[in-house]
Amino acid sequence: MHIPDAFIPIWQGAIYWIIALVFIALALRWAKNEMNEEKLPLVAVLAAGIFALQSFNLPVSMGTSGHLVGGALAAIILGSPFAAIFILTLVLIVQAILFGDGGITVLGTNIINMGVIGGFVGFYSFKGLMGVTKSMPVSVFLAAWLACLIPALACAVEMFLAGTFPLTEGLVAMGIYHAIIGVIEGIVTVAAIYLITTARPDLVDIGVKTPSGA
Amino acid sequence: MMDNKTFIIAGIIVALLIGGIAVFMASGDPDGLESTALVVQGQKDLTGATPEDAEIHEDLTGKFSYSSPMPDYSLGESFGSLGGLIAIIVGTFLAVIVVLGLAYGIKLAGKPTK
Repeated sequence: MHIPDAFIPIWQGAIYWIIALVFIALALRWAKNEMNEEKLPLVAVLAAGIFALQSFNLPVSMGTSGHLVGGALAAIILGSPFAAIFILTLVLIVQAILFGDGGITVLGTNIINMGVIGGFVGFYSFKGLMGVTKSMPVSVFLAAWLACLIPALACAVEMFLAGTFPLTEGLVAMGIYHAIIGVIEGIVTVAAIYLITTARPDLVDIGVKTPSGA
Repeated sequence: MMDNKTFIIAGIIVALLIGGIAVFMASGDPDGLESTALVVQGQKDLTGATPEDAEIHEDLTGKFSYSSPMPDYSLGESFGSLGGLIAIIVGTFLAVIVVLGLAYGIKLAGKPTK
């Protein structure tokens, strides 16, 4: 769901950029305060993994493909939505500048959708679901699914505001395609978190250390 | 338990494998956003296949345009899959370098206060 420059007028892109910069500043503060040296290997591996996963367009039928976003993965495993914003922002900058995947004036919009919305939805729905279901795989799967679907719906609304898509048609199509892509996102996120927690349980900050799951 | 070095190397190898497989296996169909654009422009049914000749109309008037050095994760037709692999390898390492570089930069900038 990388928005190209042609889809949003420059003045609207500028507004999204300003909002994105606020969250980027908060993500940098997170990096300064929370990202200790023990977490750096995980942050590096997540950056590589999320870049690679985003380059892999999987067929989702209906003449459509989709790739994973990785916002929920980064936020859940590093224990903060700002971790997702930190990593996704940098990955999106590399993609836009080097590969033309997503525009420049709309980069702020893409950061808001995949980093900010993806990170917050992924992290807080995981925490909430973990409290209710007490099941890590179920909570991760649903959180990752939501963190794929909701940014796509936000994207449809932005496309409507930009005059690029009509509202209902955009929401229906974006919703259907990303509900399917989200299933793959959910499965891969569960697998990735399982692999990482197996390899390095000490690095993982699932954020549910108390018995209540909070 | 893996040490840090093994963990980073293993992680980057997994990422490169995923990206490498993507070069050969990735679907050529438009992604969700592009598909939606084709649907709203009446070139594609919501659930139908994407026609071969479908093309997204982009209104570039008054909009910024930028040419990236490796558009669509490739080095152009003449390099084929090799170009795709090079693009993925460059991108994966660059993602790691940028993230680690910024992380260290922030840490160094924050040090003097201690």
